[in-house]
Amino acid sequence: MASRPTVNVHSSSGEASTSLPLPAVLTAPIRLDVVQQVHKSIAKNKRQAYSVSEKAGHQTSAESWGTGRAVARIPRVGGGGTHRSGQAAFGNMCRGGRMFAPTKIWRKWHVKVNQNQRRFAVVSALAASALPSLVLARGHRIEKIEEVPLVIDGAAESFTKTKQAVALLKSLNAYADVVKVSNSRKLRAGKGKLRNRRHRQRRGPLVVYNEDNGIVKAFRNLPGVELVNVRRLNLLQLAPGGHLGRFVIWTEAAFGLLDEVFGTFEKASTFKKDYFLPTAKIANPDVTRLINSDEIQSVVRPAGQKVQKRPWTQKKNPLVNKAILFRLNPYAKTLRRQEILKQERLKAKNAPKAKQPIAASKVFLESLFAP
Amino acid sequence: MSNDLQWLLLRRNNSFLVKRVPEGPVFSKEPGNLLNLNSFKFSGLANSKVITVEDQAGTIKVQTRKVKASPQAVAKATSSTTVRPRSGPRRAIGIAAAPAKRGYRPDLRAATLARVSALLAAQREPKAAPAKKLRGKKAETFLG
Repeated sequence: MASRPTVNVHSSSGEASTSLPLPAVLTAPIRLDVVQQVHKSIAKNKRQAYSVSEKAGHQTSAESWGTGRAVARIPRVGGGGTHRSGQAAFGNMCRGGRMFAPTKIWRKWHVKVNQNQRRFAVVSALAASALPSLVLARGHRIEKIEEVPLVIDGAAESFTKTKQAVALLKSLNAYADVVKVSNSRKLRAGKGKLRNRRHRQRRGPLVVYNEDNGIVKAFRNLPGVELVNVRRLNLLQLAPGGHLGRFVIWTEAAFGLLDEVFGTFEKASTFKKDYFLPTAKIANPDVTRLINSDEIQSVVRPAGQKVQKRPWTQKKNPLVNKAILFRLNPYAKTLRRQEILKQERLKAKNAPKAKQPIAASKVFLESLFAP
Repeated sequence: MSNDLQWLLLRRNNSFLVKRVPEGPVFSKEPGNLLNLNSFKFSGLANSKVITVEDQAGTIKVQTRKVKASPQAVAKATSSTTVRPRSGPRRAIGIAAAPAKRGYRPDLRAATLARVSALLAAQREPKAAPAKKLRGKKAETFLG
Protein backbone atom coordinates (compact mmCIF):
# COMPACT_ATOMS: atom_id res chain seq x y z
CA MET A 1 0.00 0.00 0.00
CA ALA A 2 2.54 2.51 -1.07
CA SER A 3 0.19 4.71 -3.05
CA ARG A 4 -2.88 6.20 -1.45
CA PRO A 5 -5.72 3.74 -2.07
CA THR A 6 -8.91 4.89 -3.70
CA VAL A 7 -12.53 4.10 -2.99
CA ASN A 8 -15.16 3.74 -5.68
CA VAL A 9 -18.30 5.84 -5.74
CA HIS A 10 -21.32 3.70 -6.41
CA SER A 11 -24.13 5.16 -8.46
CA SER A 12 -27.76 4.50 -7.63
CA SER A 13 -27.80 1.61 -10.09
CA GLY A 14 -25.10 -0.09 -8.04
CA GLU A 15 -22.02 0.04 -10.26
CA ALA A 16 -18.92 2.03 -9.55
CA SER A 17 -18.61 5.26 -11.50
CA THR A 18 -15.83 7.48 -10.20
CA SER A 19 -13.37 7.05 -7.38
CA LEU A 20 -12.14 9.16 -4.47
CA PRO A 21 -8.88 8.94 -2.53
CA LEU A 22 -9.18 7.33 0.90
CA PRO A 23 -9.35 10.10 3.53
CA ALA A 24 -6.50 10.08 6.02
CA VAL A 25 -8.87 9.66 8.96
CA LEU A 26 -9.73 6.16 7.78
CA THR A 27 -6.10 5.10 8.22
CA ALA A 28 -5.78 6.50 11.74
CA PRO A 29 -4.66 4.20 14.56
CA ILE A 30 -7.44 2.12 16.09
CA ARG A 31 -7.38 2.04 19.87
CA LEU A 32 -10.02 -0.28 21.24
CA ASP A 33 -9.30 0.73 24.82
CA VAL A 34 -9.69 4.44 24.11
CA VAL A 35 -12.98 3.87 22.30
CA GLN A 36 -14.38 1.75 25.11
CA GLN A 37 -13.29 4.14 27.81
CA VAL A 38 -14.64 7.23 26.07
CA HIS A 39 -17.86 5.47 25.11
CA LYS A 40 -18.42 4.36 28.69
CA SER A 41 -18.14 7.94 29.86
CA ILE A 42 -20.10 9.79 27.21
CA ALA A 43 -22.88 7.21 27.20
CA LYS A 44 -23.65 8.50 30.70
CA ASN A 45 -24.23 12.04 29.55
CA LYS A 46 -27.83 11.58 28.41
CA ARG A 47 -29.10 10.33 31.75
CA GLN A 48 -31.97 12.02 33.52
CA ALA A 49 -31.68 12.85 37.17
CA TYR A 50 -33.59 10.69 39.63
CA SER A 51 -33.74 10.39 43.38
CA VAL A 52 -36.00 9.36 46.22
CA SER A 53 -38.27 11.98 47.73
CA GLU A 54 -36.50 14.40 50.00
CA LYS A 55 -39.19 13.77 52.63
CA ALA A 56 -39.30 9.96 52.38
CA GLY A 57 -39.01 8.36 55.84
CA HIS A 58 -39.05 11.69 57.65
CA GLN A 59 -42.76 12.44 57.66
CA THR A 60 -43.19 11.62 61.33
CA SER A 61 -42.41 13.39 64.59
CA ALA A 62 -40.58 10.45 66.15
CA GLU A 63 -38.20 11.04 69.02
CA SER A 64 -35.97 8.76 71.00
CA TRP A 65 -37.31 7.52 74.33
CA GLY A 66 -33.85 7.68 75.84
CA THR A 67 -32.50 5.05 78.16
CA GLY A 68 -34.33 3.22 80.91
CA ARG A 69 -37.27 1.87 78.90
CA ALA A 70 -35.53 -1.39 77.95
CA VAL A 71 -35.76 -0.62 74.20
CA ALA A 72 -33.21 0.62 71.69
CA ARG A 73 -32.61 4.37 71.69
CA ILE A 74 -33.75 4.78 68.09
CA PRO A 75 -36.37 7.51 67.49
CA ARG A 76 -39.86 6.13 68.05
CA VAL A 77 -43.23 7.35 66.82
CA GLY A 78 -45.18 8.88 69.67
CA GLY A 79 -48.82 8.78 70.60
CA GLY A 80 -51.21 5.82 70.83
CA GLY A 81 -54.21 4.30 69.16
CA THR A 82 -52.39 3.01 66.11
CA HIS A 83 -49.88 0.30 65.36
CA ARG A 84 -47.40 2.90 64.27
CA SER A 85 -47.07 4.41 67.73
CA GLY A 86 -43.98 3.13 69.49
CA GLN A 87 -42.42 1.81 66.25
CA ALA A 88 -38.91 2.85 65.34
CA ALA A 89 -38.54 5.51 62.63
CA PHE A 90 -36.02 7.44 60.51
CA GLY A 91 -33.13 4.95 60.54
CA ASN A 92 -32.15 3.07 57.39
CA MET A 93 -32.61 -0.16 59.34
CA CYS A 94 -36.18 0.71 60.31
CA ARG A 95 -39.37 -0.27 58.56
CA GLY A 96 -40.77 2.93 57.14
CA GLY A 97 -37.46 4.67 57.64
CA ARG A 98 -35.45 6.48 55.00
CA MET A 99 -32.93 4.66 52.85
CA PHE A 100 -29.23 4.71 53.55
CA ALA A 101 -27.60 7.72 51.88
CA PRO A 102 -30.74 8.83 50.02
CA THR A 103 -30.05 9.44 46.33
CA LYS A 104 -29.91 13.09 45.32
CA ILE A 105 -30.74 14.71 42.02
CA TRP A 106 -27.46 16.57 42.24
CA ARG A 107 -25.44 13.41 41.73
CA LYS A 108 -22.67 13.87 39.14
CA TRP A 109 -24.56 12.59 36.12
CA HIS A 110 -22.25 14.00 33.52
CA VAL A 111 -18.75 12.64 32.99
CA LYS A 112 -16.18 14.93 31.54
CA VAL A 113 -13.96 13.49 28.83
CA ASN A 114 -11.08 15.46 27.42
CA GLN A 115 -11.75 16.84 23.98
CA ASN A 116 -8.69 15.24 22.43
CA GLN A 117 -9.70 11.86 23.82
CA ARG A 118 -13.21 12.23 22.42
CA ARG A 119 -11.76 13.11 19.05
CA PHE A 120 -9.32 10.20 19.23
CA ALA A 121 -12.18 7.82 19.92
CA VAL A 122 -14.24 9.12 17.00
CA VAL A 123 -11.25 8.90 14.68
CA SER A 124 -10.52 5.35 15.84
CA ALA A 125 -14.11 4.30 15.34
CA LEU A 126 -14.10 5.80 11.84
CA ALA A 127 -10.90 3.96 10.94
CA ALA A 128 -12.42 0.72 12.21
CA SER A 129 -15.53 1.28 10.09
CA ALA A 130 -13.29 1.15 7.02
CA LEU A 131 -12.10 -2.40 7.68
CA PRO A 132 -14.37 -5.14 6.33
CA SER A 133 -13.31 -7.64 8.97
CA LEU A 134 -14.23 -5.38 11.87
CA VAL A 135 -17.58 -4.44 10.31
CA LEU A 136 -18.34 -8.13 9.79
CA ALA A 137 -17.23 -8.90 13.33
CA ARG A 138 -19.71 -6.37 14.68
CA GLY A 139 -22.46 -8.38 12.98
CA HIS A 140 -23.37 -6.26 9.97
CA ARG A 141 -24.53 -8.21 6.92
CA ILE A 142 -22.10 -6.82 4.38
CA GLU A 143 -20.92 -10.03 2.73
CA LYS A 144 -22.45 -9.08 -0.62
CA ILE A 145 -21.47 -5.42 -0.83
CA GLU A 146 -18.68 -4.35 -3.08
CA GLU A 147 -16.33 -2.62 -0.67
CA VAL A 148 -15.95 -0.96 2.70
CA PRO A 149 -16.15 2.07 3.08
CA LEU A 150 -19.24 2.22 0.92
CA VAL A 151 -19.61 5.56 -0.89
CA ILE A 152 -22.77 6.43 -2.80
CA ASP A 153 -23.47 8.96 -5.47
CA GLY A 154 -24.26 12.53 -4.44
CA ALA A 155 -27.72 12.23 -5.98
CA ALA A 156 -28.81 10.23 -2.95
CA GLU A 157 -28.73 13.39 -0.81
CA SER A 158 -31.76 14.72 -2.63
CA PHE A 159 -33.79 11.53 -2.33
CA THR A 160 -37.13 12.28 -0.75
CA LYS A 161 -38.85 8.92 -0.91
CA THR A 162 -38.10 5.86 1.19
CA LYS A 163 -38.87 3.80 -1.91
CA GLN A 164 -35.79 5.34 -3.57
CA ALA A 165 -33.72 4.66 -0.48
CA VAL A 166 -34.74 0.99 -0.45
CA ALA A 167 -34.00 0.64 -4.16
CA LEU A 168 -30.54 2.16 -3.61
CA LEU A 169 -29.71 -0.13 -0.69
CA LYS A 170 -30.91 -3.14 -2.68
CA SER A 171 -28.75 -2.24 -5.65
CA LEU A 172 -25.75 -1.93 -3.32
CA ASN A 173 -26.59 -5.32 -1.76
CA ALA A 174 -26.71 -3.49 1.57
CA TYR A 175 -30.40 -4.09 2.22
CA ALA A 176 -29.61 -7.37 4.00
CA ASP A 177 -28.46 -5.33 6.99
CA VAL A 178 -31.83 -3.58 7.19
CA VAL A 179 -33.61 -6.93 6.94
CA LYS A 180 -31.47 -8.21 9.79
CA VAL A 181 -32.63 -5.31 11.96
CA SER A 182 -36.23 -5.86 10.97
CA ASN A 183 -36.06 -9.52 11.94
CA SER A 184 -34.36 -8.78 15.23
CA ARG A 185 -37.17 -6.59 16.59
CA LYS A 186 -38.26 -8.03 19.93
CA LEU A 187 -40.38 -6.89 22.84
CA ARG A 188 -38.19 -5.47 25.59
CA ALA A 189 -38.05 -7.29 28.89
CA GLY A 190 -39.03 -5.30 31.96
CA LYS A 191 -40.43 -1.87 32.69
CA GLY A 192 -38.77 -0.25 29.70
CA LYS A 193 -41.85 -1.30 27.76
CA LEU A 194 -43.86 1.34 29.62
CA ARG A 195 -41.21 3.99 29.20
CA ASN A 196 -41.18 4.47 25.44
CA ARG A 197 -38.58 1.77 24.90
CA ARG A 198 -41.06 -0.92 23.94
CA HIS A 199 -38.91 -2.78 21.44
CA ARG A 200 -35.28 -3.55 21.14
CA GLN A 201 -33.54 -4.21 17.85
CA ARG A 202 -30.11 -4.34 16.25
CA ARG A 203 -28.43 -1.36 14.64
CA GLY A 204 -28.38 -1.03 10.88
CA PRO A 205 -26.22 1.09 8.60
CA LEU A 206 -25.28 4.64 9.51
CA VAL A 207 -25.77 7.00 6.58
CA VAL A 208 -23.47 10.01 6.65
CA TYR A 209 -24.44 12.96 4.47
CA ASN A 210 -23.08 16.40 3.76
CA GLU A 211 -26.26 18.32 3.09
CA ASP A 212 -29.79 17.22 3.83
CA ASN A 213 -31.83 17.73 0.68
CA GLY A 214 -34.38 15.16 1.78
CA ILE A 215 -32.05 12.21 2.48
CA VAL A 216 -32.95 12.16 6.17
CA LYS A 217 -36.64 11.82 5.45
CA ALA A 218 -35.97 9.23 2.77
CA PHE A 219 -33.96 6.93 5.02
CA ARG A 220 -35.19 7.55 8.55
CA ASN A 221 -38.15 5.21 8.45
CA LEU A 222 -36.01 2.18 7.59
CA PRO A 223 -35.52 0.04 10.68
CA GLY A 224 -32.11 0.45 12.26
CA VAL A 225 -30.88 3.07 9.80
CA GLU A 226 -29.49 6.23 11.38
CA LEU A 227 -28.41 9.40 9.66
CA VAL A 228 -25.85 11.95 10.67
CA ASN A 229 -24.19 14.98 9.17
CA VAL A 230 -20.50 14.48 8.50
CA ARG A 231 -19.69 17.49 10.70
CA ARG A 232 -21.58 15.98 13.63
CA LEU A 233 -20.17 12.45 13.77
CA ASN A 234 -20.78 10.91 17.15
CA LEU A 235 -19.06 8.05 18.92
CA LEU A 236 -22.35 6.67 20.24
CA GLN A 237 -23.40 6.08 16.65
CA LEU A 238 -20.01 5.07 15.27
CA ALA A 239 -19.32 2.49 17.96
CA PRO A 240 -22.60 1.50 19.63
CA GLY A 241 -21.97 -0.25 22.90
CA GLY A 242 -18.29 0.59 22.57
CA HIS A 243 -17.98 -2.05 19.83
CA LEU A 244 -15.98 -0.94 16.82
CA GLY A 245 -16.97 -1.34 13.20
CA ARG A 246 -20.34 0.28 12.48
CA PHE A 247 -21.42 -0.15 8.88
CA VAL A 248 -21.21 3.37 7.48
CA ILE A 249 -22.62 4.45 4.11
CA TRP A 250 -21.12 7.73 2.95
CA THR A 251 -22.49 10.12 0.38
CA GLU A 252 -19.89 11.33 -2.06
CA ALA A 253 -19.81 14.88 -0.67
CA ALA A 254 -19.58 13.68 2.93
CA PHE A 255 -16.71 11.36 2.10
CA GLY A 256 -14.89 14.15 0.31
CA LEU A 257 -15.31 16.42 3.32
CA LEU A 258 -13.67 14.00 5.79
CA ASP A 259 -10.18 15.35 5.18
CA GLU A 260 -11.42 18.82 6.07
CA VAL A 261 -13.44 17.77 9.11
CA PHE A 262 -10.68 15.70 10.70
CA GLY A 263 -7.62 17.02 8.90
CA THR A 264 -4.80 14.73 7.88
CA PHE A 265 -1.54 13.70 9.49
CA GLU A 266 0.12 16.80 8.02
CA LYS A 267 -2.69 19.31 7.57
CA ALA A 268 -4.81 20.67 10.41
CA SER A 269 -8.57 20.29 10.32
CA THR A 270 -10.55 23.28 9.12
CA PHE A 271 -13.50 22.53 11.37
CA LYS A 272 -11.59 21.76 14.56
CA LYS A 273 -9.03 24.25 15.75
CA ASP A 274 -5.42 23.04 15.52
CA TYR A 275 -6.46 19.42 15.22
CA PHE A 276 -4.17 16.89 13.58
CA LEU A 277 -4.89 13.19 13.34
CA PRO A 278 -3.15 11.05 15.97
CA THR A 279 -0.09 9.31 14.58
CA ALA A 280 0.51 5.61 14.99
CA LYS A 281 3.19 4.42 17.39
CA ILE A 282 4.83 2.34 14.67
CA ALA A 283 4.57 2.90 10.95
CA ASN A 284 4.20 -0.77 10.08
CA PRO A 285 2.39 -2.98 12.57
CA ASP A 286 2.66 -6.07 10.37
CA VAL A 287 4.97 -8.35 12.38
CA THR A 288 5.47 -10.91 9.62
CA ARG A 289 6.32 -8.20 7.13
CA LEU A 290 8.85 -6.72 9.57
CA ILE A 291 10.54 -10.05 10.22
CA ASN A 292 10.76 -10.86 6.54
CA SER A 293 12.01 -7.41 5.56
CA ASP A 294 15.41 -7.10 3.89
CA GLU A 295 16.67 -4.83 6.66
CA ILE A 296 16.10 -7.46 9.32
CA GLN A 297 16.94 -10.50 7.24
CA SER A 298 20.27 -9.04 6.14
CA VAL A 299 21.55 -8.77 9.70
CA VAL A 300 20.19 -11.89 11.37
CA ARG A 301 22.32 -15.02 11.58
CA PRO A 302 21.21 -18.01 9.49
CA ALA A 303 18.89 -20.37 11.25
CA GLY A 304 20.63 -23.17 13.09
CA GLN A 305 19.66 -26.78 13.47
CA LYS A 306 16.18 -27.22 14.82
CA VAL A 307 16.29 -28.38 18.40
CA GLN A 308 13.59 -30.90 18.90
CA LYS A 309 12.39 -31.12 22.45
CA ARG A 310 10.76 -34.38 23.26
CA PRO A 311 7.82 -33.78 25.52
CA TRP A 312 6.11 -36.28 27.77
CA THR A 313 9.23 -38.43 28.34
CA GLN A 314 10.30 -39.64 31.73
CA LYS A 315 12.79 -37.38 33.43
CA LYS A 316 16.03 -39.19 34.10
CA ASN A 317 18.20 -38.44 37.11
CA PRO A 318 21.71 -37.49 35.95
CA LEU A 319 23.14 -38.59 39.29
CA VAL A 320 21.93 -42.11 38.58
CA ASN A 321 21.85 -42.31 34.82
CA LYS A 322 25.29 -42.04 33.32
CA ALA A 323 24.16 -41.28 29.77
CA ILE A 324 22.17 -38.26 30.94
CA LEU A 325 25.05 -37.09 33.10
CA PHE A 326 27.49 -37.25 30.19
CA ARG A 327 25.04 -35.26 28.03
CA LEU A 328 24.87 -32.56 30.68
CA ASN A 329 28.56 -32.58 31.57
CA PRO A 330 30.82 -34.11 28.94
CA TYR A 331 33.84 -33.75 31.22
CA ALA A 332 32.27 -36.18 33.66
CA LYS A 333 33.11 -38.91 31.22
CA THR A 334 36.82 -38.06 31.28
CA LEU A 335 36.72 -37.73 35.04
CA ARG A 336 35.20 -41.16 35.44
CA ARG A 337 37.60 -42.74 32.98
CA GLN A 338 40.57 -41.19 34.74
CA GLU A 339 39.24 -42.40 38.08
CA ILE A 340 38.89 -45.93 36.79
CA LEU A 341 42.40 -45.87 35.33
CA LYS A 342 43.76 -44.51 38.57
CA GLN A 343 42.06 -47.24 40.56
CA GLU A 344 43.52 -49.84 38.24
CA ARG A 345 46.97 -48.35 38.58
CA LEU A 346 46.71 -48.34 42.36
CA LYS A 347 45.46 -51.87 42.33
CA ALA A 348 48.36 -52.94 40.20
CA LYS A 349 50.80 -51.12 42.43
CA ASN A 350 49.51 -52.45 45.73
CA ALA A 351 48.91 -55.99 44.60
CA PRO A 352 51.11 -58.43 46.54
CA LYS A 353 53.90 -59.63 44.28
CA ALA A 354 53.97 -63.29 43.51
CA LYS A 355 56.98 -64.99 45.12
CA GLN A 356 59.66 -65.78 42.61
CA PRO A 357 60.53 -69.45 43.02
CA ILE A 358 64.14 -69.73 44.07
CA ALA A 359 66.11 -71.75 41.63
CA ALA A 360 67.44 -74.99 42.98
CA SER A 361 71.13 -75.09 43.44
CA LYS A 362 73.36 -76.83 41.03
CA VAL A 363 74.59 -79.27 43.67
CA PHE A 364 71.01 -80.21 44.53
CA LEU A 365 70.00 -80.75 40.94
CA GLU A 366 73.06 -82.84 40.26
CA SER A 367 72.33 -85.02 43.25
CA LEU A 368 68.66 -85.23 42.15
CA PHE A 369 69.34 -86.33 38.66
CA ALA A 370 72.25 -88.50 39.66
CA PRO A 371 72.26 -91.70 37.80
CA MET B 1 -4.01 -2.73 8.44
CA SER B 2 -1.98 -5.68 9.59
CA ASN B 3 -3.62 -9.00 10.27
CA ASP B 4 -2.10 -9.25 13.71
CA LEU B 5 -3.65 -5.96 14.77
CA GLN B 6 -7.05 -6.86 13.36
CA TRP B 7 -6.94 -10.09 15.32
CA LEU B 8 -6.17 -8.20 18.52
CA LEU B 9 -9.18 -5.98 17.91
CA LEU B 10 -11.70 -8.73 17.31
CA ARG B 11 -10.54 -11.75 19.28
CA ARG B 12 -12.22 -10.81 22.55
CA ASN B 13 -15.55 -9.68 21.25
CA ASN B 14 -17.26 -10.33 17.96
CA SER B 15 -20.66 -11.44 16.80
CA PHE B 16 -19.50 -14.94 15.84
CA LEU B 17 -18.17 -16.13 19.19
CA VAL B 18 -19.74 -19.17 20.82
CA LYS B 19 -18.89 -19.66 24.48
CA ARG B 20 -21.18 -22.41 25.68
CA VAL B 21 -19.08 -24.30 28.18
CA PRO B 22 -17.49 -22.36 31.01
CA GLU B 23 -13.74 -23.00 30.93
CA GLY B 24 -14.36 -24.90 27.71
CA PRO B 25 -13.20 -24.19 24.18
CA VAL B 26 -14.27 -20.93 22.55
CA PHE B 27 -15.75 -21.52 19.12
CA SER B 28 -16.36 -19.11 16.31
CA LYS B 29 -18.92 -19.55 13.57
CA GLU B 30 -17.79 -17.09 10.93
CA PRO B 31 -17.52 -18.38 7.38
CA GLY B 32 -13.91 -19.12 6.53
CA ASN B 33 -13.13 -20.66 9.89
CA LEU B 34 -12.34 -24.23 8.94
CA LEU B 35 -12.30 -25.66 12.46
CA ASN B 36 -14.77 -23.14 13.90
CA LEU B 37 -12.21 -22.38 16.59
CA ASN B 38 -11.57 -18.88 17.88
CA SER B 39 -7.90 -18.58 16.99
CA PHE B 40 -5.79 -16.35 14.79
CA LYS B 41 -4.75 -19.21 12.53
CA PHE B 42 -8.29 -20.30 11.73
CA SER B 43 -9.96 -16.90 11.88
CA GLY B 44 -11.91 -16.15 8.73
CA LEU B 45 -12.01 -12.45 9.57
CA ALA B 46 -8.54 -11.39 10.60
CA ASN B 47 -6.50 -13.21 7.96
CA SER B 48 -5.95 -11.79 4.50
CA LYS B 49 -5.75 -15.30 3.05
CA VAL B 50 -8.80 -17.34 3.93
CA ILE B 51 -10.14 -20.63 2.64
CA THR B 52 -13.90 -21.04 2.97
CA VAL B 53 -15.51 -24.44 2.51
CA GLU B 54 -19.27 -24.54 2.45
CA ASP B 55 -22.15 -26.62 1.22
CA GLN B 56 -24.65 -24.76 -0.92
CA ALA B 57 -27.63 -26.95 -1.66
CA GLY B 58 -25.60 -30.07 -2.28
CA THR B 59 -22.70 -28.33 -4.02
CA ILE B 60 -19.48 -27.97 -2.09
CA LYS B 61 -17.81 -24.62 -2.67
CA VAL B 62 -14.18 -23.86 -1.92
CA GLN B 63 -13.66 -20.11 -1.80
CA THR B 64 -10.45 -18.22 -1.29
CA ARG B 65 -9.76 -14.58 -0.68
CA LYS B 66 -7.76 -13.21 -3.58
CA VAL B 67 -4.18 -12.28 -2.77
CA LYS B 68 -4.20 -9.17 -4.91
CA ALA B 69 -7.60 -7.91 -3.75
CA SER B 70 -7.60 -4.50 -2.12
CA PRO B 71 -8.03 -4.62 1.66
CA GLN B 72 -11.26 -2.67 1.22
CA ALA B 73 -12.91 -5.10 -1.19
CA VAL B 74 -15.56 -7.44 0.18
CA ALA B 75 -17.66 -9.35 -2.35
CA LYS B 76 -15.24 -9.11 -5.26
CA ALA B 77 -12.29 -10.30 -3.20
CA THR B 78 -13.34 -13.96 -3.19
CA SER B 79 -12.74 -16.46 -5.92
CA SER B 80 -14.70 -19.62 -5.80
CA THR B 81 -14.40 -23.13 -7.19
CA THR B 82 -17.12 -25.70 -6.91
CA VAL B 83 -17.08 -29.45 -6.58
CA ARG B 84 -19.68 -30.70 -8.97
CA PRO B 85 -22.27 -32.81 -7.21
CA ARG B 86 -21.71 -36.59 -7.40
CA SER B 87 -18.17 -36.18 -8.71
CA GLY B 88 -16.74 -38.36 -5.97
CA PRO B 89 -14.43 -37.91 -3.06
CA ARG B 90 -11.14 -38.11 -5.00
CA ARG B 91 -11.98 -35.13 -7.16
CA ALA B 92 -13.44 -33.21 -4.23
CA ILE B 93 -10.28 -33.71 -2.20
CA GLY B 94 -8.16 -32.65 -5.17
CA ILE B 95 -10.10 -29.41 -5.45
CA ALA B 96 -9.86 -28.84 -1.71
CA ALA B 97 -6.10 -29.31 -1.71
CA ALA B 98 -5.58 -27.04 -4.73
CA PRO B 99 -5.03 -23.78 -2.78
CA ALA B 100 -2.49 -25.43 -0.49
CA LYS B 101 -0.76 -26.99 -3.48
CA ARG B 102 -0.12 -23.61 -5.04
CA GLY B 103 1.22 -22.26 -1.76
CA TYR B 104 -1.94 -20.52 -0.52
CA ARG B 105 -2.19 -21.18 3.23
CA PRO B 106 -0.51 -24.59 3.15
CA ASP B 107 -0.95 -24.71 6.91
CA LEU B 108 -4.68 -25.12 6.37
CA ARG B 109 -4.40 -28.13 4.05
CA ALA B 110 -5.40 -30.74 6.61
CA ALA B 111 -8.28 -28.64 7.95
CA THR B 112 -9.61 -27.97 4.44
CA LEU B 113 -9.50 -31.64 3.51
CA ALA B 114 -11.19 -32.59 6.77
CA ARG B 115 -14.01 -30.16 6.19
CA VAL B 116 -14.59 -31.24 2.60
CA SER B 117 -14.55 -34.89 3.63
CA ALA B 118 -17.01 -34.20 6.41
CA LEU B 119 -19.36 -32.43 4.00
CA LEU B 120 -19.08 -35.33 1.55
CA ALA B 121 -19.85 -37.82 4.27
CA ALA B 122 -22.86 -35.76 5.30
CA GLN B 123 -24.15 -35.78 1.75
CA ARG B 124 -24.11 -39.57 1.54
CA GLU B 125 -27.42 -41.32 2.07
CA PRO B 126 -27.33 -43.00 5.45
CA LYS B 127 -27.33 -46.78 5.22
CA ALA B 128 -30.63 -48.40 6.02
CA ALA B 129 -30.54 -50.13 9.38
CA PRO B 130 -30.62 -53.94 9.06
CA ALA B 131 -33.96 -55.56 9.76
CA LYS B 132 -34.34 -56.52 13.38
CA LYS B 133 -34.09 -60.24 13.98
CA LEU B 134 -36.36 -61.66 16.60
CA ARG B 135 -34.62 -63.69 19.23
CA GLY B 136 -35.54 -66.26 21.86
CA LYS B 137 -39.11 -67.25 22.54
CA LYS B 138 -40.56 -64.57 20.30
CA ALA B 139 -38.73 -65.93 17.28
CA GLU B 140 -40.02 -69.45 17.87
CA THR B 141 -43.62 -68.49 18.40
CA PHE B 142 -43.57 -66.08 15.49
CA LEU B 143 -42.03 -68.62 13.12
CA GLY B 144 -44.01 -71.58 14.41
